Amino acid sequence: MTARFFRGRLRPAVALTAMLVSFAAPRADASRFTASDGAQASGTNARVVVDDVGRRVVMPAQVNRIVTLAPNLTETVYALGLEDKLAGDTDVCDTPPAAKRKPHVGEPQNPSLEAIVALRPDLVLATTSINVESTADALARLGIAVYTTAGDTQTVVQMLDSIARMADLMGAGPQGTELVARLRARLDSLHARLADRPMAHVLFVVWEDPLITIGQNTFIADALRWGGAESIVLSSQNWPHLSLEEVVRLQPDYIIFAGGHDESAESELAELRAKPIWRDLDAVEAGHVVNLSEESIRPAPGLVDAIEQLAHDVHPDAFADKAEMLNTKFEMRPAPAIRGDGGSECDSCGR
Amino acid sequence: MRPLTPGRVGAICLGLGLVLFAAVVVSLRMGAYPIAISDIVTSLVQGALGRWNNIPTESRLVIFGLRLPRIALGVLVGASLATSGAGFQALLRNPLADPYVLGVSSGAALGAIVSLIAAPHAPALIQVAAFAGALATIAVVYFLGRRGGQLDSATLLLAGIITASFLSAVIMFLMTTLSGRDLRGMAFWLMGDLQAPSTVSAKWLYIVMGIAVGSIYSTASDLNLILTGENEARHLGVNVERVKLVVYVGASLLTGLAVSVSGAIGYVGLLVPHLMRMLFGSDYRLLIPTSAISGAILIVVADTLARTVVAPTELPVGAMTALAGAPVFIYLMRRRVR
Amino acid sequence: MSTPVPLPTAPRPIPANAPRVKVEQASYAYAATDRSAPKFTLGPVSFEANPRELVAILGPNASGKSTLLRLLAGMEKPLSGRIEIDGNEISTLDLRTRAQRIALVQQESELLFPLRVWEYVLQGRYPHGRRLRFESDEDCLLAGNALAQVGADALRDRWMDRLSGGEKQRVILARALAQQPSLLLLDEPTQHLDIGGKVELLRRLRKLADGNRYTVLVVTHELDLAAEFADRVVLLQKGKCLRVGTAPEVYEPALLSEVFEAPIEVETRASGRPRVILRGNP
Repeated sequence: MTARFFRGRLRPAVALTAMLVSFAAPRADASRFTASDGAQASGTNARVVVDDVGRRVVMPAQVNRIVTLAPNLTETVYALGLEDKLAGDTDVCDTPPAAKRKPHVGEPQNPSLEAIVALRPDLVLATTSINVESTADALARLGIAVYTTAGDTQTVVQMLDSIARMADLMGAGPQGTELVARLRARLDSLHARLADRPMAHVLFVVWEDPLITIGQNTFIADALRWGGAESIVLSSQNWPHLSLEEVVRLQPDYIIFAGGHDESAESELAELRAKPIWRDLDAVEAGHVVNLSEESIRPAPGLVDAIEQLAHDVHPDAFADKAEMLNTKFEMRPAPAIRGDGGSECDSCGR
Repeated sequence: MRPLTPGRVGAICLGLGLVLFAAVVVSLRMGAYPIAISDIVTSLVQGALGRWNNIPTESRLVIFGLRLPRIALGVLVGASLATSGAGFQALLRNPLADPYVLGVSSGAALGAIVSLIAAPHAPALIQVAAFAGALATIAVVYFLGRRGGQLDSATLLLAGIITASFLSAVIMFLMTTLSGRDLRGMAFWLMGDLQAPSTVSAKWLYIVMGIAVGSIYSTASDLNLILTGENEARHLGVNVERVKLVVYVGASLLTGLAVSVSGAIGYVGLLVPHLMRMLFGSDYRLLIPTSAISGAILIVVADTLARTVVAPTELPVGAMTALAGAPVFIYLMRRRVR
Repeated sequence: MSTPVPLPTAPRPIPANAPRVKVEQASYAYAATDRSAPKFTLGPVSFEANPRELVAILGPNASGKSTLLRLLAGMEKPLSGRIEIDGNEISTLDLRTRAQRIALVQQESELLFPLRVWEYVLQGRYPHGRRLRFESDEDCLLAGNALAQVGADALRDRWMDRLSGGEKQRVILARALAQQPSLLLLDEPTQHLDIGGKVELLRRLRKLADGNRYTVLVVTHELDLAAEFADRVVLLQKGKCLRVGTAPEVYEPALLSEVFEAPIEVETRASGRPRVILRGNP
């Protein structure tokens, strides 16, 4: 019976089904959804700011729940003393250690939108250095305020401004100003010490094989400059590939790694001494290898600690008057914990 | 002798449709944000009636803003890829053919990369650019794949493979010029991702898919004959050249559609038609609709797994399709009694 | 060796029905490229075939038999002359109509995916319906009949790729019969068969021609089979049509020896049909 019913009716049946589906589909269209209650609650107080990538962000009146999508942003939130407002961060946010215990939304590159929404954030912080635009787009379309900071191509001063702006957004303006002022003071004092010295020529190794270093416009390059060092490579690309030949030709004074927890300058040096070509470099022969911890090379307050450490390693004679400092280049320096007031707990690192 | 009847086609498709429906319901239920089934049903009903205000905000956001669009895209992509795979397997007379063998996905990826480089702050453009890249590749491979003015299976396959390799090389070169952020985005795009919402309304995508699938289905009887030999088919009255053109354009369009929406998700186009052949036979009048529906089922299941297995980490959908599809395939292969 | 033997001019009895197939001065040529001289020419060829007749197109290799068959199948258009079926010029017919009248029985069938015999034979009904079609009961009946006519009824549910060579050929023939053609064309169908198979096939074709009013055209180089089973013989050599007539008319020893470049003798048997004898030693 069914056969006879369908005979001759198959094509119209298919067409009808297709039409029904196509009418049902718009129901599932995400773009129907604009800002949810959060941002529209007190319409008069809602303000619009422009983030670092030019996106217009409608800020809610009160920011009580924050989700961060990158480790440096998490670090900044803690440094500003706002950890109670931090509703969630990513799997890889590990500085400070307490951040690991917060609810996670996945990896920075591809976080779970649903997990983010489930945390009901008033503000989501993202950065261009590690997040993808489509995440911010999707969240914006769902009506969630997303503020994206520029990551890789900032100067240290711009980073400080960014921290101040973020603090302002999250309702912690005074703390932000104070934190930034303190960090600035440390940088200025460093600058004063190093003012008369020539810049050390260094090779900053992002990745060993293939050999990748940093470009001029990255914040790492700027941070290096604050520490009295200049990359031997002047490239407008952010992460230029380099051949070992070039390194041999340019003979940097120091080689800088940003390794993980379990690597020390000593072990790095030992490895390099075993490698052909590397071991013949002047810097390796002289033992001029510096290891900065990976967590500190981020656009976050901890960067200033790294800059100070770098300056000590590369210009030891500028700090010779600080007799109490033990500053051999071979010592493993753990990432100094960040206190609530933005100062570090490493007393030997100077003010 | 029990020939295929429209009734049988309808019954099997209905059965598969029910499985798809079940998969969709389960998928709606699962996710980081807990919502009870009763709430899902009420929300769906309220939404269908247009009473958006009656639905709690989070439910509305999660169900209609996140899960349902993602599932809808998944159904679209799955159906498109599976149908395209079945079509190419007939067109190229090769059981190993999949939707990407003729280079359409490489063309779409190239379009996406060019859009990223030329207009980095207009991510909405990526989808359109990818589709444009796909269309361009379709045209190029068509002209390269002709022999004596007509599409020739062997020449087409060769043309497609060469084009795909060439485009991949260009893409690799361009990727070295991308900044870190765009590079990451591009890598994820290439791997296949259903989380990013479509910039073009789903309605248009479904319409295009419907037209393409419909066109291919209209040649189903012809394809059955062509698969016993092109000359034989010609002598039975099949306009072989026309059929090949329709299938080529239709299947390539479906691939371009799927890839521009979600990147290149693998295995669906290859596995699903073979699965359907094992279960229901090689008759294309049944193979095409069953492949479409089953492709949708596979993607919905795979995507649900991808976003829940190691929540909140999102696994790549393409890996999940292989993991979900391959064991079923192997099981059926071993059970097959002839 | 180069002077052609003149065509017979003796009048033939006019058949009661009009001829089903009429080939009038058909010729064809093809060249390696558009601009070079023709590599091969066929024709002009003229002959007729009636319902219930089995016509053998006979000749050695490269004599143009297959080309003539392609013209008869409508795959090529003759450069000059006409080829008609039931009064219509074949090359003007559209694909479907042509498939409804003419069935070309292929040698082999390269199947990509597994298929059952009845499914394969049912495909022969394609020309008689819409493009996207589901087979009707009538189609099934006709397909069943076709299988019965070739004696392959028992093979109905078998898989195509599990058949023997002879079984497969019967099934391929059945599919052609399912087309309900007026004209059956076969190109060297006995090539891979042993003697028993050859005879069986020709007997079946003979029966089909007699019983179902088919016109059967068989391209072959098998002299003895043609002699035994054909009503009419068209003799070709190097693209030229040398003689058309009944077997006794065509089978002249001198003519055959020259065409096939082998010492051939001909005997006439009691039935009137000639028998061909090869001489090993001159």
